[in-house]
Amino acid sequence: MIAPFTEFGLLGPRGALVAAFAIGIAFGACLERSGLGSARKLMGQFDLTDLAVFKVMFSAIVTAMLGLFWLSRLGLLDVQKVYLPDTFLLPQLLGGALFGVGFALAGLCPGTSCVAAATGRVDGVAVMLGMFAGVLATGAALPWLQRLYLATARGGLTLPRLLGMPEGVVILVVVGVALTAFGFTARIERRAAMSSRTSDNGV
Amino acid sequence: MGSDMLTLEKRLLAGAAAALSILAAANSIVNAHAEHYPGTTPSAVTPSAVSALAAEIEHEDDHVTAVELAQWIRQRKPGLRVLDVRSDPEYQAYHIPSAERLPLTALAALAPTDGETLVLYSEGGAHAAQGWVLLRASGHRRVYFLRGGLLDWMDDVMSPALPNDSSRATVAALSRYFGGVPRAGAVPLPTSSATAATAVARVRRRGC
Repeated sequence: MIAPFTEFGLLGPRGALVAAFAIGIAFGACLERSGLGSARKLMGQFDLTDLAVFKVMFSAIVTAMLGLFWLSRLGLLDVQKVYLPDTFLLPQLLGGALFGVGFALAGLCPGTSCVAAATGRVDGVAVMLGMFAGVLATGAALPWLQRLYLATARGGLTLPRLLGMPEGVVILVVVGVALTAFGFTARIERRAAMSSRTSDNGV
Repeated sequence: MGSDMLTLEKRLLAGAAAALSILAAANSIVNAHAEHYPGTTPSAVTPSAVSALAAEIEHEDDHVTAVELAQWIRQRKPGLRVLDVRSDPEYQAYHIPSAERLPLTALAALAPTDGETLVLYSEGGAHAAQGWVLLRASGHRRVYFLRGGLLDWMDDVMSPALPNDSSRATVAALSRYFGGVPRAGAVPLPTSSATAATAVARVRRRGC
């Protein structure tokens, strides 16, 4: 058995849908369990009191990176067949900035807004409606946006190729950065917890 | 007590990540080293090898056209490496997306690797074609050069004249993928939503 299963025919289109549904439900349940369905939790990110989202993202990157590297070295995964999104510098920079503004305004990202809506939070429903409206508007405006949409294409770009460094070295650097960042976030969170406790005592 | 267990767990996970990444780096460096210093040295070129290469050149199995190369890059042909043999300033000014710069003098250090397809290109084509001979003679199997060089790339991919047949949309989509501007008459530009949709549909074949 060699992954990705969909590329080697071990999972047909219907099987892939079932798998996606199951993984999606599990993902949502984990998000809710860890409190990420609440905009308060996510806002802790921006006032530097709770850096859970940052840690979740970075540990996911490290896990996936090490997993892809070692599974392919062990012959269990064909990395050439893993979908690599194309890079379009300008539109993706603009889209990323827009996404960030939306995230900070709403306190929810697409995944967590679905979780928030599923648990009956009104802000989650509002963000989901906004998201669908945005998707529809972008789809309708695509003929006009097409020049921007396809501008500054760079093909499938990866860090090792961009930096001209062996894959393993890039992995070592990213893991090093992640572990250092985790150390820093622990310190920031401890300080924030301490200062909130002393200010509570003062009142 | 509970928080002690949690920190222990975190430390173990962090240690595992660190160990796996150090092993990954070591593994990649050892592999790269093996590529640069292979155990066997290329043998001298024999007369029969020369006539075999000459036959390949005569059959025109030695080159790709700009459009073929563009399709290979677009489809992410496995093992494809595009090598730019021009000078560094020229490379910095413009190069084919995904190309690496490799001076002709560095070709000798390039060891044949299984599953790799090399495509050389230069300004016009002469230097790349000479590089092709050097690489084929030193044991590389799948080597091509870009016919017409970067000049053809500019003409046929970056600003192609659109043909008036069924391939029109394909040529236009390929050109736009590389940030090119298709030329001539009624270019199927953003105004026509049907062609825009097909061009975009190819791009967002899959999302995340």
